[in-house]
Amino acid sequence: MSVAAAITGGGDRPLDDSPAQASKRPLWIVFWIFPGFFGLFGVIFVLLLRVIPPPRPDVGYGYMTHFFETHHTTIRIGLGLLFLVFGGHAIANGFVTYHMKRMSSGPTFAYVYMGALAIGAIPGMLLVAFCFGAATLRADREPRIIGLLYDLGMLSFNGSLGCFATAYLAFAVAILVDKNGIFPKWLAYLTIWQIVTEVIATQMWQQTSGAFAWNGSIAFWLAVIVFGVWLNCQILAVKKATDEHVAGTRPLD
Amino acid sequence: MQLLSGVEDLPRTSNVRTQLMALWVTAVSLAIMLVAYAAFPGFWPPMSPDMSAQAVAEFYRDNTGWIRFSMVTFNLCGIMLLPLFCVITVQIKRMAAQSQAFAYSYLMATVGGGAIFALSAIFFAAAAYRPDRDPDLILVLNDLGWIVFVAPIGMALIQNLMLALAIYYDNGSRPVYPRWIAHFAIAVALAMAPAAFSITVTAGPLAWNGVISFWLRNIAYGAFLAVMLVATWKAVHRQAVEEGLIE
Repeated sequence: MSVAAAITGGGDRPLDDSPAQASKRPLWIVFWIFPGFFGLFGVIFVLLLRVIPPPRPDVGYGYMTHFFETHHTTIRIGLGLLFLVFGGHAIANGFVTYHMKRMSSGPTFAYVYMGALAIGAIPGMLLVAFCFGAATLRADREPRIIGLLYDLGMLSFNGSLGCFATAYLAFAVAILVDKNGIFPKWLAYLTIWQIVTEVIATQMWQQTSGAFAWNGSIAFWLAVIVFGVWLNCQILAVKKATDEHVAGTRPLD
Repeated sequence: MQLLSGVEDLPRTSNVRTQLMALWVTAVSLAIMLVAYAAFPGFWPPMSPDMSAQAVAEFYRDNTGWIRFSMVTFNLCGIMLLPLFCVITVQIKRMAAQSQAFAYSYLMATVGGGAIFALSAIFFAAAAYRPDRDPDLILVLNDLGWIVFVAPIGMALIQNLMLALAIYYDNGSRPVYPRWIAHFAIAVALAMAPAAFSITVTAGPLAWNGVISFWLRNIAYGAFLAVMLVATWKAVHRQAVEEGLIE
């Protein structure tokens, strides 16, 4: 335990295990699943499910049914793959929670981060998969029902804002308060931009075209760029935190 | 479990007691869910994805009562599996330092998986709410119910993977779970994995009503829950012995 941790009461607790038994390999196993999962996630959502770049919101039933007919096979393969691997998000975010528990800022925001993202997985990742699954299941389904599944899926995927804003807020505040230096302070300031993009994206709920629609240059593309930069920085910060983690210690309960 | 005298009021006694109470809650709810499972007409045999809208609507109209009974029971008791998973989380946190990294991922996967399961019962019960609804709408609710019930096994997969890794790395002198539980958890995860691709077909063993996606998946996970109840009971018992609460 560092001096700072001893003073502030946070930090890691050494265990009884002898150094010979202590190994950091489990931490590295969990760590490498993190970029691996987001890589797969990219392939699934961009190449297979076709939700990035997003199909247009300003279209009629003809376009919507044509979208599902055209990408029928890739969407279903993508759904199978997603249903198999989507739990990777629990590993990635669970591991961030683990490092947040090592901060001097206490467990509160670590639990908020974990809880908010556990909730966010349903509207932010899975509901679109359920909708697209139902939409591609039957070619003869009525166009008005396919249209409803299309909207419900895309709005839920791009428009789940609060779960993520809450998680980002918890992450940023925890880093700023922390005295153990688990993550760099600049990552907190970068994370605040993630909250800003979520707030801007509220506009997609009342726009069907233009820069603020679900496929718009601001509500979607700006948010995606910020997310990409932020995610890469977060992965690097988690790698550094794992590097500096002393083997044989663990977060306080 | 007979406590030694003089330990009733200790904080660590309450910790063991609440874990045992949690396991009882899950054991009872599991037994009730088995009844609900047996009572859902849609499982005997599991409804085919190839059924027409008319046939599905008629099925819901003819079996409204039993569908409502079983899905409301799933709704009420399904998340009572959570106490078992939370006791497992507590037990993972008792393991050697290097196994701790898996505890939070396990808990997150538990919560996510539970939420998905809760959703499937809502779709089935909503389809049965108005049996005279437009058959095309009953069909889409039924489709969503089946997709959500069978396909998204990703969370259970990660739960079992995290549990197995935590057990493999729990190399202290007093392992919390025996090693074979880890092998078993991996085997169950592998048996469930193909069900993810039930979304790609509408007939055969991989379809949502097929031998692999429905029967293998459900029997494997049911057996896993039963085994984990017993194994976790024994783990809590060992904790009580180690902490000097019982002999």
